[in-house]
Amino acid sequence: MATEPPWEEIPHTADWSIRVRGADRRALFENAARGMISLLERPQTDRPSIERRFSLQAHDDETLLVDWLTELVYLLEEEGLVFNEISVEQAVDHALDARISGRPGGRYGKHIKAVTYHLLEIREVTGGFETTLVFDV
Amino acid sequence: MVRKQDFEHISEFVWELPKSYRYDMRVPARLYASERLLEDALDDASVEQLINTTTLPGLVKYAIAMPDIHQGYGFPIGGVIASRTSDGVISPGAVGYDINCGVRVLASQITLEEAHPLLDKLANSLYRRCPTGVGKGGGIDLRESEFERILLHGADWALRQNYATRQDVDRTEAQGRLRGADVSKISNRAWERGISQVGTLGAGNHFIEVDLVSEVCDPDVASVMGLAQGNIAVQIHCGSRGFGHQIATDYLRAFQDVVDRYGIRLVDRQLMCVPFHSREGQDYYGAMCAAANYAFVNRQVLAHNIRQSFEEVFRGVAHDFSLRQVYDIAHNMAKVEKHTVDGEMVEVIVHRKGATRAFGPGFEELPVEYRPHGQPVLVPGSMGTASWVLAGTPASMDETFGSTCHGAGRVMSRHEAKRTVRGDHLRETLEGKGIHVRAGSMSGLAEEAPQAYKDVDEVIRVVTGAGIARKVARLVPVAVIKG
Repeated sequence: MATEPPWEEIPHTADWSIRVRGADRRALFENAARGMISLLERPQTDRPSIERRFSLQAHDDETLLVDWLTELVYLLEEEGLVFNEISVEQAVDHALDARISGRPGGRYGKHIKAVTYHLLEIREVTGGFETTLVFDV
Repeated sequence: MVRKQDFEHISEFVWELPKSYRYDMRVPARLYASERLLEDALDDASVEQLINTTTLPGLVKYAIAMPDIHQGYGFPIGGVIASRTSDGVISPGAVGYDINCGVRVLASQITLEEAHPLLDKLANSLYRRCPTGVGKGGGIDLRESEFERILLHGADWALRQNYATRQDVDRTEAQGRLRGADVSKISNRAWERGISQVGTLGAGNHFIEVDLVSEVCDPDVASVMGLAQGNIAVQIHCGSRGFGHQIATDYLRAFQDVVDRYGIRLVDRQLMCVPFHSREGQDYYGAMCAAANYAFVNRQVLAHNIRQSFEEVFRGVAHDFSLRQVYDIAHNMAKVEKHTVDGEMVEVIVHRKGATRAFGPGFEELPVEYRPHGQPVLVPGSMGTASWVLAGTPASMDETFGSTCHGAGRVMSRHEAKRTVRGDHLRETLEGKGIHVRAGSMSGLAEEAPQAYKDVDEVIRVVTGAGIARKVARLVPVAVIKG
């Protein structure tokens, strides 16, 4: 686990897909967000940085993961947010608290339409957790 | 892994996996393909995904994959299923996030010879007038009440606001308006995303393309459609933007919490569905119809902007610079229709994801001039390659719930395309072939490289060979505006 990257893009015919790992659920959720954003070209913006906090709850961890990433997709599209910091502070009992900061006004050239549930499963593996995400683009 | 020998070879272009292939299949799975395209389909998870769709409740006849099938997320792209409205389901996963993503073709009377010296200027004008890229900005300014009218009335709103002609509306699937729209079933977030994006192209695989009508296969039908060999035409490919994406996201999320209550077991959570007549099913249907109306208006406003570009560039140069609508067709949608099943007419909800309607001659929804010929079908190819205008047939009504293919279909992953193709090199290659390219993102351009797609002519050979559509005209690109 220690030698494996926190996320990596894996082939998908029509869309984008990443495999994500984390030593615990908190790290997995954080790495999933960073991995998703790494698929986009980082635009320039000099607008003042803003901060947002999230408290989310779902009936299972997979739904919580989609909810969390969907919040970030919304910020990417509606505010053109160029992320500086992504911090998942806690992820227990299908709930998470997170804080992000970044500069709005970025003009992204590429687009994530949505975070899918396609065969989504968070698996416990040696040294932590792993999942594979597919994004509609 | 599914193997070629697992299929029963029904006819030259039809392959079927029987219901017995997997214990949880409720109906067989049919694939329209040549041997070559079947082998392409077996290279990724698309056939497994097709099999998964056969497990949904209430399906009739069989699940169908068109020859442009490729791996999606849950439902394969190029898939068609029909579920009885009486005891079947509606599935936002089987429609997709880009509700009523579709294609519009506009025909001109301008020859390529006349247009050629001005194509660069035309590409610049189109790129300026038709906003591209992610998110808000550049769309038309709308009050809340106007936006609501768009969602309820679709193309009728555009007609009243002078964005459309009567002929545009008549030559749009469902006259550009689904009557089941219910704005009370739309979240605030969908509303917020949607109101600022009407009249925008978006990003991804969406595009505006100026084409040459390179070949006319059925002169009589092409003439009725206004397509003449040697003239230029325009294609628009886009959908319901963030509005549709948010509606799909909202209902996929909401259904996660209720699906167990209906006793529905899913092999893939993205195939999320609920009974069509349940409260939740009707809520989604009302929201989906609103997103469909949004997409019809979105393509209509873009068509209006494109007409302004044609006037700006060709006034005083061409005798007639008007653009007449050939047709506008959806390829991600669920529609309530009646089809013959075991000799009886049955009301079903047909889900087409990456597949189009292709209703045959006599279809009453069509304008009078198209009724004898069948519904126009618009099949864009990959960037830099041909596209096709087809017409629906009686066989498509008998075999495929009045459906046919929607495009070329991918064979190469976006990851692989980015790795092997450089966007700037691709742009130079296309420009070298005389195709003017405008694109915001070079890596986005690389992901849409022609080599990432199947051969569209082979896809068309299959659907016409199988008789589920017939050829009318072939288009080749001369300018591409990439979203």
